[in-house]
Amino acid sequence: MRAPAIRSVGLLSGWGRGAAALPLDASRAAAGRSMLAVERPVLDPDRFRRSRRECLMGVAAVSAMLEDAGLGPEAIVGDRTALLFSTAAAYAPSNREFIEARGGSMYFPYTAVAAVPAEVAIEFGLTGPYEILVGGAPATMRAVTRAAALLEMGACDRALVLSVEVFEECADLFESVRPRFEGPLVEAAACLLLEPGEGILTLERRRGRREDGSARRRLGEMLACEPLAALALARETAGEGPMQVDGSWRGETTHLRWSGSPYRTRPRAA
Amino acid sequence: MRSKGPERIAVTAAGVVTPIGQDLDTFWSGLLTGTDGISQIERFPVKDLRVGQGGEIKKLTRAVDWRRVTDCRATRLLVSAADDLCTQAGQRPLDVGPERLGVVVGTALGGVEEGERALSGSPRRLGRALYDAPGHGLARWLGARGPIVTVSTACASGATALGIGAEMLRRGEADAVIAGGYDILCRFVMRGFDSLRSLTRDRVRPFDRRRSGLLLGEAAALLLLKREREAGPRRLGTLLGCGSASDASHIAAPDPQGRGIERAMRAALAEARVDGADIDFVSAHGTATPLNDPIEAAALRRVLGTRAGAVPVNSIKGAFGHAMGAAAALEAILCLLAGRHGQIPATLGLAERDAACDLDCVQGAPRALRPRLSLSTSLGFGGCNAALVIESA
Repeated sequence: MRAPAIRSVGLLSGWGRGAAALPLDASRAAAGRSMLAVERPVLDPDRFRRSRRECLMGVAAVSAMLEDAGLGPEAIVGDRTALLFSTAAAYAPSNREFIEARGGSMYFPYTAVAAVPAEVAIEFGLTGPYEILVGGAPATMRAVTRAAALLEMGACDRALVLSVEVFEECADLFESVRPRFEGPLVEAAACLLLEPGEGILTLERRRGRREDGSARRRLGEMLACEPLAALALARETAGEGPMQVDGSWRGETTHLRWSGSPYRTRPRAA
Repeated sequence: MRSKGPERIAVTAAGVVTPIGQDLDTFWSGLLTGTDGISQIERFPVKDLRVGQGGEIKKLTRAVDWRRVTDCRATRLLVSAADDLCTQAGQRPLDVGPERLGVVVGTALGGVEEGERALSGSPRRLGRALYDAPGHGLARWLGARGPIVTVSTACASGATALGIGAEMLRRGEADAVIAGGYDILCRFVMRGFDSLRSLTRDRVRPFDRRRSGLLLGEAAALLLLKREREAGPRRLGTLLGCGSASDASHIAAPDPQGRGIERAMRAALAEARVDGADIDFVSAHGTATPLNDPIEAAALRRVLGTRAGAVPVNSIKGAFGHAMGAAAALEAILCLLAGRHGQIPATLGLAERDAACDLDCVQGAPRALRPRLSLSTSLGFGGCNAALVIESA
């Protein structure tokens, strides 16, 4: 399919804001910490009075993406912007809170996977095509290809691919399945702004875990956020040649490959 | 009038497990005869809830070797529906190489009941609590080694899954895709909807003047999709279009003007290269909540145009409640079966039409009609909207 161009990237992670905050070696930088959290973003307390931390992280990632593009929110408002959201486990804290509090005062709709993209859509007035995928890195790569397909068929003029992962509220639960993860768990929220581009985008799969874990070695375990964080990282050094990101989940490795550089812009200076 | 559009995707078989039937024929017969799938919930405690009834499947009756299937109800519903699908297809295993068989399932709740069990002392169940676990369990049972995707656009999930499955075939990622949706009744979701006061103590009455809320049901529904040119003569119909849109209005309630579902319908019609005036039948979301039904009816009238009053409409929610992630796939199957059998089932629970839902809702008895083109609508939490356009064989 025709490859989309990456207009801008927004990234918040347990390492800090943007790709520049990412370490060279996640395990070493974690210095024994098994999990690195993102602080609750400070946004309008009235407007977001009921919103959960993971929802605010999604909103903040889109704001960071707009800032990176030098655009205002009016650039994405309306029905010509598609929103594709992916996560492996961002719903886990709300589900747990609802289960353990036996209902309590938590507003039940916030337990839905759709809660994060719903808050983002409401905040930015995004009323175009809307899809939500669940899984690790391959789900996010699938979301990028869905965005490419929607752009190619003219269903939208631009697409946001957003991923959010939170671990802090369920740190003890993730700890119990620790052997499944490489490196520290790193919370993140990442968003790409995609526009029609040139070249070819391919998605390939193979059984088994990937051999080259270089991006994960730098990022830590970001689950669904990993491909977007890897794209943010690669933009700093990318040339005009082909670009590939990889990700593994449930015994399968997926490769997402652009035939030429996907980047339309360079990172803005901090 | 249709112009050349995207490659056509055939539905060659389907399978279901529902409170009114655990195979396609019994399900269809139950819809036609007005079988009531609502009962008191027995599988988990509900005494502390305002409402303790729903569309519960009392026992899984298909002859499946359950030792090969994870002890997870969501996975078992999916496997039951897949077992029916294989029977309907007359192929066991399916006649497609494992690497070329994809699975795309939609769900609102995934394996959340496994999360409940893990947190109450069965930590080994934790891995099954992730929402994509049941879809992978289904793929294992099928022996599918192609792409495995889980979508969660709340109660529109089944429609989104069918759209993604169709796209997967058009891109050549698979030669066959099993797509659809599922969800189970569990304490988590019953408590949730109970807390919202969304559940009725009466019966579910879609588009009825006396409607007072929904009831939840559990089900799984799967469709076997293939590229039409490779599908062979045996088929239920064709998936012509799929559209989605966000409301960007409220975390739970639909947009008061129904603009999101209208955009989704128009997107599905555009992909199908047909017009609202071409639609012969609507399988509506029709939850029977005071809010949903008039909003959806108004959006349908705008999309169907001058023929709106003459297009028969059905909601299956009256028969066994809102099956959440399974609902849209069940409704797609209803459209296909209506075309095959030449009958539109009546909407169970509808007795006194609401003037605010000014549609031609089929009530009382099935109506003889063989729809060629059907439209199915779905709405969900988070402002999720999706629509499908389906052509009968």
